[in-house]
Amino acid sequence: MTYTQQKHMSYWILVLPGILVFIAIIMFPVIYSFLLSFTNWNGYGKPSYAGLENYKTILIDPVFLHSLRNNLLIIAVSVFGQIPLGFLLAYLLHRKVVRHGNFYQTMIFLPITISPVVVALLWNQIFSSSGMIVALIRSVTQNPQYVIKIFEDPEFAIMPILFVLLWMHTGTYMIIYYANLQKMTPSVLEAAQIDGASEAQMLGRIILPSMIATIATTAIFAISGSLKAFDLIYAMTGGGPAHFTEVIAIYMYVNTFKYYKYGFGSATSIIIVLLAVGLILILQSISKKFERRYE
Amino acid sequence: MKKPITIGRIFAYVLMILFALLTIVPLLWMFLSAFKPHAMIVRQPLLPPMTLYLENFRLAWTQGHLGIYFANSIVYAMTSTIFTVVLAISSGYALSKFSYPSGKFIYALYTLGLLITVHSVIVPLFIMETKLGIANTRFGVILPYIAFGLPFEVFLATTYVKGIPDAMQESAIIDGATFLEVFVKIIIPVATPIISTMFIYTFLGNWNEFILVLTLTSELAIRSLPVGINSFAGGMSRDYGLQFAALVIGTIPMIIFYLIFKDKIAQGFAAGSTKE
Repeated sequence: MTYTQQKHMSYWILVLPGILVFIAIIMFPVIYSFLLSFTNWNGYGKPSYAGLENYKTILIDPVFLHSLRNNLLIIAVSVFGQIPLGFLLAYLLHRKVVRHGNFYQTMIFLPITISPVVVALLWNQIFSSSGMIVALIRSVTQNPQYVIKIFEDPEFAIMPILFVLLWMHTGTYMIIYYANLQKMTPSVLEAAQIDGASEAQMLGRIILPSMIATIATTAIFAISGSLKAFDLIYAMTGGGPAHFTEVIAIYMYVNTFKYYKYGFGSATSIIIVLLAVGLILILQSISKKFERRYE
Repeated sequence: MKKPITIGRIFAYVLMILFALLTIVPLLWMFLSAFKPHAMIVRQPLLPPMTLYLENFRLAWTQGHLGIYFANSIVYAMTSTIFTVVLAISSGYALSKFSYPSGKFIYALYTLGLLITVHSVIVPLFIMETKLGIANTRFGVILPYIAFGLPFEVFLATTYVKGIPDAMQESAIIDGATFLEVFVKIIIPVATPIISTMFIYTFLGNWNEFILVLTLTSELAIRSLPVGINSFAGGMSRDYGLQFAALVIGTIPMIIFYLIFKDKIAQGFAAGSTKE
């Protein structure tokens, strides 16, 4: 075997098994899903062509629109809640403002290891009528009849879920920013300090600008992660009561696996992908503008 | 050097303590409640257990089949993680050190895969597996676990192996080693740090995975811990004691895992955010 042959063969031995599994399990189904989305297949017999019918039905369905609104709220909480809070915590740890920073870091990052299902059931217990919060409020207000009513409100039922998402993910952003802050060369900050720059000036003029790329990347995670939100909400409320806390992924799941509307479900999942790509493109153009301003 | 007390420092402490308590208090409450009988959980939610009541754990493990779920979770997470990491590191070597045109295309495909979520393939995947007769089997769960781990792990492996100096490979090749020998004897030992990060990060994701097992399996005997624990919340058991015991069983191993491998897990998350 010549050198070239040997190199060629090694290359394919190394790369082929992985890419075959990837294509069979991910790429092929994506194309399949795209094609199914133009049919009204119900799992039996031959799928019949339905054109854009599924997409039209979904986009005017009030349940879908409410789910979309909930997904946008989840995105808002991650972009305007988890990311700034995560950055603030990382910055305080990085600047060693508090003692025992390692302990706080370990505690704040800990929820990441707990399965979303466990998190969901735990917080359901905490919010329940025999849970910690109700018991505390009852003993403070001396009102033994107090119950949390927020879950029955169509507009606000999503709020406790948003809080739990914040609880779960803020630590992840903190750890990402912390790792990136550690990579900054300390000499730049030291020089600025010697020149008499205040803490706020250093943050605004040096640290934040150098972190924009990282923040933009994490915002992309936040958007795609938010549109995927399923496990936690499915286990907490299942989208109920009466679709109040439904998100698009649950909408898709219910229509597909409860009502066997495979074509309809596929169209929904294509909408999720398109939404993610659209939002990410918008975000990238915004972050490019910011980066240019600091150049 | 003692730092002066300023408003900023007080604010920092308040924030840190608040967030730490938000983690500790719910988990502590869950842990204590698991040692209380149902009636006491409902009537005195805030009191700690008075006796060492272990019945919840015994019942959850046997009647709730948590033992089976636990074993399944270990099989799923271990097997698929080993395959994902082996496939990813070998792809990483091939895609970074061979400079074949097809490599660029394959890498682009994996990058595209980063954007694709489980939800966008779950319907056709379910149909495919049913037709192939592997739905409702362990193999049918492990296969998508391997595939969904690949895009991100290939990205990590490729970036890391790219950073290994070409000189190491070249001198071995001149001495007559084949490329596969270089992979086993040079690349793998040098890449050990990233391999362990990949392993731990992938394992964590697979251990907590939910929707694939939920949709692709229906038999109790092959379901995993998250799906099994979720069934505790449904009609199956209104006994809060059992629920808390199930939550504790699902949480404790992961907290131990986390405390041992925290830095590796953090690296896994942080590595994804760095721009090339």
